[in-house]
Formats: sequence, structure tokens, C-alpha cells
Amino acid sequence: MAVANQAARDASLHPGMRLPDACATLPNLLREEIDRESDDKSLLALASWLVRFSPLIAIDEADALILETTGCDHLFGGEARMARELSRRLDEVGYGHRLAFAGTRGAAYALSHEKAGAQSPAILPFGDESEGLSNLPVRALRLSSMTLTLLRRFGLTRIGQLYEIDRKALERRFHSREAAEAVCLRLDQALGQRPEPFEPFRPPPNHCVHLSCPEPLTDGTGVKASLSTLSDRLCKALAAKGLGAQTFIFRTFCSDGSVNTLSVNAARPACAPNHLLRLFNEKTDRIDPGFGIDFLQLEAFRTAPMSVGSRPLSGALAQTDVDEAALSTLADRINARLGEGSVTVSVPVSRHLVDTAEEIRPFAGEIPKCTLASGIMYGLRPIRVFDRAERVEVVSEVPDGPPLRFVWHRLVHHITRADGPERIAPEWWTYLPSSPGEPRTLPRTRDYYRVEDTKGRRYWLFREGLYGDKRGAIPEWFLQGLFA
Amino acid sequence: MNLAQLRSKGLIGSVNVEPATDAEFPYGLGTQGLHEVVDEAFGDRAAATGFVFTATKPIRQEALFWISQASTRRNLGCLSEAALQEMTRRQICRISLTTRNSRDALWAAEEAVISGTVSHVIAEVDEADFTATRRLTLASGRHGVPITLLLPYGNKGATAAATRWRVTTRPSSPNSYDARAPGCARWSASLERCRIAPSAAGRTFDIEWNDETLSIRVVSRMVAGPLEARASELEKFQRRKTA
Repeated sequence: MAVANQAARDASLHPGMRLPDACATLPNLLREEIDRESDDKSLLALASWLVRFSPLIAIDEADALILETTGCDHLFGGEARMARELSRRLDEVGYGHRLAFAGTRGAAYALSHEKAGAQSPAILPFGDESEGLSNLPVRALRLSSMTLTLLRRFGLTRIGQLYEIDRKALERRFHSREAAEAVCLRLDQALGQRPEPFEPFRPPPNHCVHLSCPEPLTDGTGVKASLSTLSDRLCKALAAKGLGAQTFIFRTFCSDGSVNTLSVNAARPACAPNHLLRLFNEKTDRIDPGFGIDFLQLEAFRTAPMSVGSRPLSGALAQTDVDEAALSTLADRINARLGEGSVTVSVPVSRHLVDTAEEIRPFAGEIPKCTLASGIMYGLRPIRVFDRAERVEVVSEVPDGPPLRFVWHRLVHHITRADGPERIAPEWWTYLPSSPGEPRTLPRTRDYYRVEDTKGRRYWLFREGLYGDKRGAIPEWFLQGLFA
Repeated sequence: MNLAQLRSKGLIGSVNVEPATDAEFPYGLGTQGLHEVVDEAFGDRAAATGFVFTATKPIRQEALFWISQASTRRNLGCLSEAALQEMTRRQICRISLTTRNSRDALWAAEEAVISGTVSHVIAEVDEADFTATRRLTLASGRHGVPITLLLPYGNKGATAAATRWRVTTRPSSPNSYDARAPGCARWSASLERCRIAPSAAGRTFDIEWNDETLSIRVVSRMVAGPLEARASELEKFQRRKTA
């Protein structure tokens, strides 16, 4: 048995019992197989919904959530009213809960697990930890069962009893350094004498604006109008600091506890409300208002200073006519509709093989400059290159003559003229064996031919390998590209 | 006889060199409006691509937007940066997009034209109906960005484009250094429709592209006939025997 509800616990069932024992104690026990995965999923969903209360939320073990409410409670009129609001919301959705507010994470854990009831949240003012926790049992300290057994044997059942004990004496009694250290650590953490890291389940936004609606929104028009208000406010806040953001996330919180999330990315930092609205415009139809949206939030991530450059006085002074800022707004719009990374740029790289000599990267706000050393003479290159060279059947003079005819797309192409070979050697340094004993598979040399068929179409064929190079079977032919 | 006398007799006169108008080759291709370049048969796409890049002289040195469909890219390859630089001898700023279907490609083309940030939009699509071409023509006219559509063979329907070219390859020019090697590329581009100069419709231009001078010239159809296919030694021997 993993979890028991209040009624079962009242009938003296407790987690950790064997199921047959439990059934014997309570014959009409209702039971269900535990589904950890779904539990985790719904806890995550609940966590993302609770973002409306605080931006920093962490998931604690399997059934608890931690909200960092510093600076948030006053927005709800104090901790007591915030707790009431939280309770009301959770009740509406139908989640049983126990709430505790405390200055440290350890204290909040102890209070929520041992003191708080379903309808009475435990609130401990900051600084009163040692007093508030002294009467709670030691199991509230997040200790392992072995350590708890040891503590029970020493007669230490209340947290308050631990305050008085000399730390060194505790260690001597335990005969186990780890257990003693664990007790001290957890105690110090609960009392706020040692720090405890807080890991939010998702990174908090750099900037965030929100809007709560008095009446739930049920249609797209309302959502669009609120989005425009939010983006105006967010962009104003960003512009006041001279910042722009590259990722924007729009969350709509429904009253039934579900959250819709839309995100858009910009190729370079942006802070124009119009641009933002156009990016979201493609996606707002996907929001399902359900029973009504009562809270909206717009977050900005990856903020960076806006690069504000002056345009050159005349076109003759400009290095290029390319307006990269305007290009990135275009790319953003296309990416928002057709998927992230749709718009690409190709960059020549210094590699031997034709397949790798051009790198295709997502457009990131600027056109990369060609940094290759100029002056390297190549043969002519075809205007169209296949992403993967296509294997073709070729009749050629053995061992190293140009091809005579080849079959591509089930058609025989008779070759009238041929030029070549242009030999492209493989990059042997990329094929070094990782360990000395390992047999190395050496790459094969490629001989490229520029050929023309009877129709006048020009192709770029290559033979992978040489006859008798002892690096594989009989060399095969491939079609790499089409010449103009 | 001095210059004044010559002029008075009408022997010499000032020559007005007028800039090429749209009613001349290439009839506005790549400078304004929407144009279609259609392959004559499968495999002519490389010639069509080369034709677009060599027949157009960009007015502004802005970015080029290249839109391609995934199926085209798979069957006929994608544009190679190295060859593009070889053809133009300068760095072309190019952003590319690969879409799943023609609808997305045409939408992206229109969006790029409206944004006005690119100097030329080239889209390779499987099909473009009259409505789509009309939309693009209007957008192009309003924002002054030329669009070129590269269409597959067999595309014959109604179009609102200013011109429709049908391009195919022709055997290349004789190579003066090596008779067995291909020479300069030659294409035959026939103008099927032309709204700017309707009388020019039906003309065929046989063009030769010189990769050294980066120029195109019109060549006679008679220059190079079809060449004999290369044969192996065995085949040559058999041919001699039958003769």
C-alpha cells in the first residue's frame, strides 16, 4: 500500500502495509493500482497552473509542490488570504490539499505534513521556526527510516528535543557519521541556519506581465484583445530597460485548472508589440477557452539589449543593402507558421567532401559572412546538388575511364562528352581509430566526372573508390548534382 | 571637314543609348512582376535555375529568398552556394525555406514580397493556379519585389504571370581545349506567354552561358548538332566490324 486517504488512516491503515493485511483489517477497502506516471503528469499540470500565484514553483517528491511566495503574498492581501484563495481554487478543481507557509522549506514541509489540516492552513511567521516546530514529531524532518528508528531508540521523538542535544554527543551516540550529519543538516535547514537550494520545475521568465479577468473569457476575440494589452505592457517594460527578448510564452489559465501555452521565438531580440502580435496571430486559434479563461500571462525569456544601429546616410556608404533586422522579422513570421528553424542560411565550410562543404543552419538574425580563404581553385560546381548522392548504374571503362552511359530515374542516358576526373580525397583525419587495436575502415577516394548526355543535360557523377584500393568491394557510382 | 560640317550633313549624330525596357529580353524577368519558368521535361530544372540566375541582373543588392518544396529538393537537389558564387562572382545573401506543400511555399512567397525586405523571391512549387498567380502578381506590383516561380514540366494552365518561359538544355558549345569535354552551357528558352509584349510570345532564345565572362549570348541553333555517344573500345571494335 502506497497511499491511504483519511478514512483509511482513521481505520488504522498506514502506507507501507501489505495489501492482504489491509484487506483483512478493512474488508470493504476500495483500492486502485498506483500509476506514478499519471500522478507525475497531473502534478506537473497543477504546478504549471499554480504559476498564477508565484513564478517560482518546485516539485517535491511525488505528492508535494513548493511555491516560493516571497514578494507574492502581498498581491493577495497577506499570507492568510493567499492561503484562503489557494484553498478555494484547489477545492474548485477537486484536489485535496494541506497548506503551510513558513520561512524555510524544511519548516514548511514539517508543518504541511504534520500540522496543517484540510481546511486549516498552517502559517508560521518568519523567525519563529524553532518555536513552531518544537512540538512536531521528528519524522517531519525528511529523514530516512533508518535514522528515524535510531532517533526513536534514543527516545528523541519531538523536534524540540533535538535543540538541546550537543551535536558532538549526537554523533557519538549514532556511531554513524552520515545519520548524525543528516539529522543536523535537516534540522539546520528547517531552522534556516543552512541554505537549501531551490530548483524551480521550469526557469522563471526574465520579464512577465499578467492580466486577470473579472469575467472569464470564452471566445477568441477577448483573448486577442487581452494579448494585445499584455504585449503592449510587456514591450513597454522591456523598452524601458533597453531590452528585447527572443522567446515569448503566452499562458492562458482556465478556470477548470487547465493551462494553454503558446510560444514564439524571434531570430533577434524584439520588443515591438505589433511584431509580437503578428507572431502570435498564427497560433491564437489553437487556444481552447473551455469553461472560460480567467488569467492570462505573457512571459519574456532570453532577453538581451536591443541593438539599435543608425542606418547609413546613403546607400553608397552601406556595405550591403541587406536589412538583417527586417529580414529577421520576416523569418520570425514564417517560422511562427511553418515551424521553428524553417528559414535557413547556408554557410560554406572548409571541408573536402561536397556533402559537408555547405552547412545549413537556421537563420539566427544575421547572414553569416563567408570566412573561407579565397583563391582555392576548384573545378566547376553544379548548380543543384543532392542532399544525398543518388546511386546510379553506370557502364564505364574499367579501371578509371569516364562513364559511357548511366541509368537515372529508370532512363538510360548516353554520354557524349565527359570531363574529369576531379579527384576529391577523403578527410583521413576524421577517420582515425579510437583505439590502436580497432580495425579502421578507411574512407574511399572519389573521382568526379562532369558528363553530358545526348540531350545536352550535364551531370556530376562520381565513382566512390578505386579498383584495387583494398577498401571495399567493386567501386560504385553516384550522381551528386546537376549542372546548369 | 570638321565635326560641325559632318553634323550638318547628317553624317554623325548623337546616339541615345536607352536603358533596356521591359519589352526586351528578358521581359522583366527578375526585375518586376511575376514570372514563370517551366521545365520542358524532367531534369531540365538545372537549366531553368541557371537561366533565372544568368538572365536576371538584380537591381538592388539585397537578400534573395529561395523557397523550395521538400519533394523537389529530394528529386532534383537543392541550390548550391558554391555554384551560385561561381555564376555571379559575388557573395549573394540568401535565405532559404523548404516547405512541405505548394500552398505554404506560395504563402511564404507572398509574405516575403509584402515585407519588402528581399530583392527577389524565387519559389519552386509543384503547382500554382490562376488565383495564386494573380495574388502574387498584385502583391509584387504593389511592393515592387519580383517573384519567379520555377514549375515542373507539364504545367500548361491559365496564369496571371507576366511571362512564362519553357526552358530546356541543348548540347553545350564545343570545348576548344578538349573536344571530348563539355563546353559552355546552352539552353533554349521559349517565351510561351508575354503580357508586356504580346507579339514576342512564341519566340525562342538559344542562349549560351559563358562561365568566364559571366555573360550570355544568343547562338544559332545550327552551331552544334547532336553528338555521337561515347563508346567503349569493345563497342568501337564491333561497330568497325559491322561496317
